Amino acid sequence: MGGSTVLRRTFLASSAAAAGFSANVARAEPATVSLWHVFNLDTDMIYGGMKAFNESQSAYRIEPRLVPGVQIVTELIRAIATGSVPDLVTLDSPVVASFSAQGTLTDLTDQVVQSKFIKPDVYFKGPWASGQWRGKTYGIPRDANTLGLYYNADMFRAKGMDPDKPPRTWSELKAAAQKLRDPAKNVYGFGFCATQAEEGVFQWLPFLWQAGGSVDKLDQPEAAAALQYVTDMVQQGLASKDVINQSQYEVTNTFMAGNIAMSQGGPWELPRMSKQAKFEWRLAPLPVKDDKQIKADCLGGYDFVVPKGAGQVEGAFRFIEFMSNPKILNEGWKSGRIGPRTDVMVQDPLWPQAYATYRGEMSYARPRGPHPQWPDISRPMQTAIQQALTGAKSPADALREAAAKVDPILAKTPL
Amino acid sequence: MRAGRAAVGKIGRRRPVLLYAFLAASMLYLLVFIGLPIVYNLVMSVQEVELGNISDLVRPFVGLENYREAWEDPSFRTVLLNSALFVGANVVAQVGIGLALALFFAQRFPGAHVLRGLLLASWVLPALVVGALWKWIFATDYGVANYVLTRLHLISGAIHWLSDPTVSLTAVTIANIWFGTPFAMILVAAGLTSIPEEQYEAASLDGAGPLARLLHITLPSLWPTLVAVACLVTIYTMRAFDLIFAMTQGGPLDSSNVLPLLSYQLSFQRFHFGVGAAVGSFSFIIVLAVAVLYVRTLRRESEG
Repeated sequence: MGGSTVLRRTFLASSAAAAGFSANVARAEPATVSLWHVFNLDTDMIYGGMKAFNESQSAYRIEPRLVPGVQIVTELIRAIATGSVPDLVTLDSPVVASFSAQGTLTDLTDQVVQSKFIKPDVYFKGPWASGQWRGKTYGIPRDANTLGLYYNADMFRAKGMDPDKPPRTWSELKAAAQKLRDPAKNVYGFGFCATQAEEGVFQWLPFLWQAGGSVDKLDQPEAAAALQYVTDMVQQGLASKDVINQSQYEVTNTFMAGNIAMSQGGPWELPRMSKQAKFEWRLAPLPVKDDKQIKADCLGGYDFVVPKGAGQVEGAFRFIEFMSNPKILNEGWKSGRIGPRTDVMVQDPLWPQAYATYRGEMSYARPRGPHPQWPDISRPMQTAIQQALTGAKSPADALREAAAKVDPILAKTPL
Repeated sequence: MRAGRAAVGKIGRRRPVLLYAFLAASMLYLLVFIGLPIVYNLVMSVQEVELGNISDLVRPFVGLENYREAWEDPSFRTVLLNSALFVGANVVAQVGIGLALALFFAQRFPGAHVLRGLLLASWVLPALVVGALWKWIFATDYGVANYVLTRLHLISGAIHWLSDPTVSLTAVTIANIWFGTPFAMILVAAGLTSIPEEQYEAASLDGAGPLARLLHITLPSLWPTLVAVACLVTIYTMRAFDLIFAMTQGGPLDSSNVLPLLSYQLSFQRFHFGVGAAVGSFSFIIVLAVAVLYVRTLRRESEG
């Protein structure tokens, strides 16, 4: 509580100075800025931010609407189609380019140039790139995340392994998964998400990049090696065959239930993990491929965007600025959201080891796209992953097929 | 029936204006809330629709290009076949089991009414909840389905209900049958009550056993009801979307995908609105055909 008072006071001063709202103080009725967001944890920084913003000035009032994550794109499309759009929306970063390239978002380039808070060079490259299209700014990163390796330290000890030495390479990960696997107790060594959805690609891309592959070279041996690795995990019984139908949420559930010893997951799982996991869990950076030693991870996160035709562009941008202040972004970690800016470093964070791991990975995590046809690029990869994991096709064949679909798209509009 | 129609006729002569107002109101409702979306979908299916022009009314006309694109997509043909199998199995099972349950609960035993009411509980649940529930039941390693089947020695190894492409359609079909059967049962039960008790009494006096009564009284009297229920189940099952979305998202490899889900994925996950609309049109044509059959059955029923 004390912290939020300090926060509010700081913002009273800072936003007044930054945006010069003193000119608007006389206005009696604040203008309403409608915000659609997906954050259902009441500890999320958006709630404190909205409250502080509304109290800090009288020109604008944020009117929030919580939209379930799976529905927000559908809802936004519906709003665009009917011409009644909200002023501000939080969008999953890889999908932003689809909207900005089609001219459905407000160009915020001028506002950013004039902003004292939002300086492109203080942002991590990946998150910032997700809001860019053809040199213009359509989205401002709200938060960022990457993947880490959660592991069950109690199981490590039970199998005579040192929990201070989590696997650092692909071969170590596989060896650890073999040791930790315990069919009698229904325990798999490793868990990840490989669903026929964007999440499945999000979780596989780190392997692709660690192997030295890339999305525009899916028919190369590096890509095949990456898919072969996860396929082996499943076919050798180190990971469950059900990974092709387990969302990230369910993979984490399975880990917390003690049915997986190590699982790939993001920082947004931390609030749940700290409440529900009845064992000592820890976090390690994703391992690297032995012969390549390339550190790579995939970036996720949400961007603020202002749909074209929004009535309150100025108020919306004012709120984006407010939420981009390092002081607010520091609060984000309470619900497992990493600040997308290099000047945000949480002092004395909750879950310090997890914070150090994820924050460290931010320096080499890579974005998906940005590409306006990212869903069409992602889909063939989803298919290839599922073909390989079910044994329908060999990894190399499945990826050759994916490349045949992805390459023409990239030939027209490169990544 | 005839008495009813005579009554309508009398009111009609007295207050024709009012009756035409009723007609106009329902026509207007149909046009605005059902006709417009259908026309809008048909229009979209012959246009090139992207995020950038979705709010425009005039969009590039592409003829049947979207239909061609949908048809040539290998996953579309898988999904079309899936839909046929899914709907077919659901209709047969839901009507069959619904009939059996309705006959069972029509016997007068203590608690029959209460139990029949409780059975409806599954139909009241939201499809997403039912999907999550069945996803749990069908989990390979800790699901109830495999546990029970293994204990009964019906299977030797675990079945990958939702992650084996050859099994996943069966799994979502079973879940949907469980979900929809109570509704079919209630409709059949309502049909059963309309069969006059005297017919059974007369038949019993003539020496007809339970089987003969079922074959010669119940089933013939119930036939129009069963056809109508089958049509309704077809329409409801053609729309099944959330249950499958919650269980498999149509995967693995579209093995459990159906037309409405594919249409959603094309439109709202991949932003190919025209192709999504074309897939929607396919669903619409099938549902329309069944709806026409349903209306004709109802008419024959009321005339007979």
